[in-house]
Amino acid sequence: MAMTTDIKKGLAINFKNGTWLVIEAQFVNPGKGGAFTRAKIRNLKSNQVIEYTFKAGESVEEAEINRRKCQYMYNDGANFYFMDNDTYEQFSLPSDVIGTDKRFLIDGISCYAMHIDGVPTSIELPPKMDFKVVTTTPGIKGDTATGGSKDATIETGATIKVPLFVKEGDMIKINTEDGSYVSKAN
Amino acid sequence: MIYDKQTAIERSKLTKSLRSFFEKEKFLEVETPIMVRIPGMEPHLNVFETTLITPNKKTKLFLNHSPELQMKKLLGANFGNIFTLTKTFRNGEIGGNFHNPEFTMLEWYRIKADYKNLMKDCENLIKTLAGKSQITYQNHKIDLKAPWEKLSCEELFQKYCKISLDQNRTFKQLKKTAEKNNFDTKFCKDWDDIFFKIFLNHIEPHLGKQKPTFVYDYPSTQAALAKKSSKNPFFAERFELYIGGVEIANAFSELTDSKEQKTRLIEEQKLRKKLKKTIFDIDGEFLASLESIQQNCAGIALGVDRLFMILMDKKNIDETLLFPLNKILN
Repeated sequence: MAMTTDIKKGLAINFKNGTWLVIEAQFVNPGKGGAFTRAKIRNLKSNQVIEYTFKAGESVEEAEINRRKCQYMYNDGANFYFMDNDTYEQFSLPSDVIGTDKRFLIDGISCYAMHIDGVPTSIELPPKMDFKVVTTTPGIKGDTATGGSKDATIETGATIKVPLFVKEGDMIKINTEDGSYVSKAN
Repeated sequence: MIYDKQTAIERSKLTKSLRSFFEKEKFLEVETPIMVRIPGMEPHLNVFETTLITPNKKTKLFLNHSPELQMKKLLGANFGNIFTLTKTFRNGEIGGNFHNPEFTMLEWYRIKADYKNLMKDCENLIKTLAGKSQITYQNHKIDLKAPWEKLSCEELFQKYCKISLDQNRTFKQLKKTAEKNNFDTKFCKDWDDIFFKIFLNHIEPHLGKQKPTFVYDYPSTQAALAKKSSKNPFFAERFELYIGGVEIANAFSELTDSKEQKTRLIEEQKLRKKLKKTIFDIDGEFLASLESIQQNCAGIALGVDRLFMILMDKKNIDETLLFPLNKILN
């Protein structure tokens, strides 16, 4: 089994009798101490998220996972349905496994399915995705009450904060991790 | 990038009220440099370097990671109570919710005082900034009424891990006791590594949840510029303030014994060499100015962006900054 000391975002590890995906890794020097990596990890089966702080240089066992390209098709509320791009096989994942990623899923969108032992267990969105702004109020010059941003609804139905210059019909780039506006997409 | 004007307005108000607090307390505001020739010796910190180029010479300079050496030089020059609000820099730390490589640091130093006086200052300052006796941070109510919770490192290790630090003073002892209690000590190379691995995973998440918590009397191995406790020199008169699980400030009863300080700096310099970090000179002027500090004094460094993040109820420090590096690099 491969070992690594490079604990970083996107890495799958075997830890505490499970397979976990590192969803956040922060390098810290606490108080007067040495270097540590503070990680947020998500269990790929139960979706449970925990925090664990590793000593810098600590090696962990890399998990064998397979990232396969797939396409989102539809959902029935309880389950979300996808199709594998190579095999055309369909599979579903329960709504709570998809979590907050559902706000960025529209029919036909491409993403990755994470397979453990050949079974799709969760999905991963591209870190940045482009979406069309469906509705937003016109930005008013010199409007100080809104503080430089306003709400916009994108084609998936999700509402996000955008700068005042964004208009209806614009394509914008969104950070899918925290749902924040990145830039105009061109 | 979204430039949120409302956040900028709130920040500006907080900064004004912070300055007026110290003005009322009769502190002198001083400006400390961003570029220095000799930064503090903290063994584990990584610094940013730059070069001053003049026609005949190149001089290596560093971006300050703390204004503490300069502040103590001013104490030695008899400045009395002083504070500074400055930018500080740490290399090698990025990601997560609570850190930007460039951050705003508030440091204040009180004469005729020890670290207990600074705990009172923290209570008064933060209550004043909040403007109310209870705040909500990420759906948790935090009670700001004084006195705040005070727990020593020894008490915390006993409470959450059933381990006595005082009874396990060597690496071998602490490792054995920790492993007996099922704590993971893998890859820990010294006593402090075990301390931090347990502290970060099993203690820190509990701190400052209902009330802000002062964690005090840290092991002397992590004393830096702090005076050792007269009651038990295994520990040093140092505290950290936690609010909502986040470390906000670090304070000392200042060590003014220049001999002991010199010994510590030499040891820390050696450790930096061993850890393959940039080596700094020992600041002779700093050591000399300690000798002219006549009274007991205490000093504290407070992460302003982190405090504002909590007072403004923001999840991520980036939301308190107009130009967070995390977003710019993204």
